[in-house]
Amino acid sequence: MNNTEIEYDDKLGTKRVRVRRMTFTMRLIHWVNVVAMVVAIATGLYIADPYYQSFIADDAVDKYVMAWNRWGHLIVAIIFDVTAIIVSYLFFFSRFEKHYLKILPTKKNIIEFGEVTLNLLTLNRRKKFDSSHSDSFNSVYFIIFHILLAWMLFTGLQMYVHALASGDSSIGAWWPWMLHLVTDWTIPFSSWLVGTTATGGNIMDVRIVHHMSMWIIIVWVVFHIYYQIWRTIFWQEGDIAIVVGGSKFMKIDKDGNKNIE
Amino acid sequence: MNNQVDISFDKLYNEFENRIKSLEKLPALKENTSAEKMLIEKGFSRRDFMKWAGAITAMLALPSNFTPLMADAIKVVDRLPIIWLHMAECTGCSEALLRSAHPTIDSLIFDYISLEYHETLMAAAGWQAEENIEHAMHKYKGQYILMVEGGIPTANNGSFLTIGGHAKKGLDIAKEASENAAAIFAIGTCSAFGGVQAAIPNPTGAVALSEVTHKTVINVPGCPPSEKNIVGTLMYYLLYGSLPALDAYNRPKWAYRLRIHDLCERRGHFDAGEFVENFGDEGAKDGYCLYKVGCKGPYTFNNCSKNKFNEDTSWPVQAGFGCIGCSEPNFWDTMGTVNEPLKDKLYNTTFSGLGADATADKVGLGLLVATGVGLAAHATLSAIKPPKE
Repeated sequence: MNNTEIEYDDKLGTKRVRVRRMTFTMRLIHWVNVVAMVVAIATGLYIADPYYQSFIADDAVDKYVMAWNRWGHLIVAIIFDVTAIIVSYLFFFSRFEKHYLKILPTKKNIIEFGEVTLNLLTLNRRKKFDSSHSDSFNSVYFIIFHILLAWMLFTGLQMYVHALASGDSSIGAWWPWMLHLVTDWTIPFSSWLVGTTATGGNIMDVRIVHHMSMWIIIVWVVFHIYYQIWRTIFWQEGDIAIVVGGSKFMKIDKDGNKNIE
Repeated sequence: MNNQVDISFDKLYNEFENRIKSLEKLPALKENTSAEKMLIEKGFSRRDFMKWAGAITAMLALPSNFTPLMADAIKVVDRLPIIWLHMAECTGCSEALLRSAHPTIDSLIFDYISLEYHETLMAAAGWQAEENIEHAMHKYKGQYILMVEGGIPTANNGSFLTIGGHAKKGLDIAKEASENAAAIFAIGTCSAFGGVQAAIPNPTGAVALSEVTHKTVINVPGCPPSEKNIVGTLMYYLLYGSLPALDAYNRPKWAYRLRIHDLCERRGHFDAGEFVENFGDEGAKDGYCLYKVGCKGPYTFNNCSKNKFNEDTSWPVQAGFGCIGCSEPNFWDTMGTVNEPLKDKLYNTTFSGLGADATADKVGLGLLVATGVGLAAHATLSAIKPPKE
C-alpha cells in the first residue's frame, strides 16, 4: 500500500510513519452515518413509543410531533440509503482500498482475523499482525454493520411503501413498484425470525424485527466505540485520529521493519 | 397500478349486462319473489334499496351509473347456489352478518340468496342435514359458491373435527366441497389464515382452507369480517363472473388494499403526537390517537375506517378502542397483547417454561447491558494488568 510517509525520527532510533487510512469521502460518510444514526434512533424510539408528551398549551397550536419525528426518521433513512449505495460501491471498486479483499476466507485473512481477536482477548499481550493497514477483523466487523444497515433499510422501506398504497408517489409509480419488488420478501423472513407458526405473516413481524435490530445496532456501536478507544490507548498508534484526520502512526525500527513481534 | 383504467367503462357495463341476462335464464331457487319485493315486505323503501345498491357500487369502485345494474344483479343473486361450511370456529362470522340490531339490507340479501347448506340457519337436522349437503354438492357440481367459516384441524388426520352421524371429518368435507366449487370464499380469519385455533401452540393443527385445497381461495378475513366485505365479494363474483384482484394474502384488493391507519379518523391526532395514555383520561375524552394503548391500525389492512360496521354506525376506533389487527394473518401471535403497544410485546422464548418472556425493549436493553458488562470487564482487566511494554 502506498499510503505511508515518514513523519519524524524518534530519539530511540525508531521512526514514526504516518499511515493514511481513510480518505475524505470515507470520513465524510462515517460522520454522516453517525449523525443519521443518532437521529434515526431518537426518532425511531419515539415512533415505537411516543415517550414525550405534546400536551402543549391547548389543542389549537401548530404541533406535529409525530409527523416531524416520522419526517426526520424517513429523511435519515434516505440518507442511509445513499451512503449505503456509495459504501457498497467503494467496498469493491475503491481506488484507495478494496475492502472486500479483506473478508475473503483466505488463509492469510483467517490467520489475521484470529491474531487480532487474540490481541483483544490477551489484552494486547500478543500482537502478531500488521496494524498499519485495515485488518480483516475490522473489515468483518464493518460488514456486519452494513448487513444490519441493509436489513434496516429493507424492513424500513417495506413498512414505508404501504403509505404509498395508491401505487403512486411524488416521484412516480416506479418507486412503490420497485420497493414492493425489492422488500416484500422481508415479511415472510421476519415471520420466520419472530418464530410465529400459523400461516402467513404480517408487517407487525417486520416492525418487531426492525425494532429489535435497532438494539443490535446500538450494541454494535457501543463495542465499536469501545474498541477504537481501546486500540488508541493500548497500541499507542493514534487509531482514534483515523476518522478525524484520516491517518494514524506506525512505529518502524532501525532496520525499517514494522513493529511486529 | 391504476394506469390502464378504462375511462368510459362501457365495455364493462355491457359485460355485466350480459352476465346478468345469462344468470336470469337459470332457474330461480325461490319462487314468486324478488330481492326488491322481499325488502319492501320487510319494511325497506325502494329508495333505501337504491341507496344500498349505490353504496355497494361505490365500494367496488364502479361509476355511479352502474347503480341500476347493481340493483338488477341483486335480483338474480338467488341463481347462485351457495354452500356454507362451519369448520373449527365460533359462528361469529354468521352471527355478525345475521344478528344485527335490526335486519340490515346486507343480512336480508344473505337470507335471499340460495343457501343450500348452512348448519346454523337450515331447518334440517341429523341425517337430513347430511343428505342436504351431499345432494347440493352433487346437484350443483362445479356451479356452487363455497363459503367456509373456521379453520381446518389437520392434526391426527383431522380427527379433531367430526361432523354429523357418520362422523365425517371436517378436513374431508372441506376438501371434497372445494373440489367441486365454482368459487371458494374463506369467510373470516379462521378459514383465511387459521385464526385463534392456529395460534401457538395450535394443538389441533388448524390451518387455513387454502392449505388443504389446491384451488384458489379468496380470503375475506376479519374477526368477524364486515358484512359489506362478505356481500361485496359475492356481488363482485356475481357481476364479473371471475375472481377479484387479490393481494399477497389472497384478500380482495378493493376491500383490503389500505391500512386502517391511513384512513383513520384519529390520524390527525397521531401526526400531532396527541395520544391516549390510559383509557378514560383527558385524551380519550378528546378522541386522541389510540396508538399508545395498543392500536394495531398501522399494521392492519382493511376498510373498517372507511365502511364501518352496523350500517355505518361505528367501528372499534370510533368507539374508543384500538384496532386489534383481527384481519391479519397470525394476529393472535403477533398483534398481542391487545391493549398494549409494540413496546410491551411479549415473546415466546425458548425458556417460556421458566416464565422467561421479556419485552422487546427489555431484550434489547439486556443485550446492551451484557455488552456493557463485557466491555467494562475487558477495560478493567486491560487497566489492572497492563501488558508488557
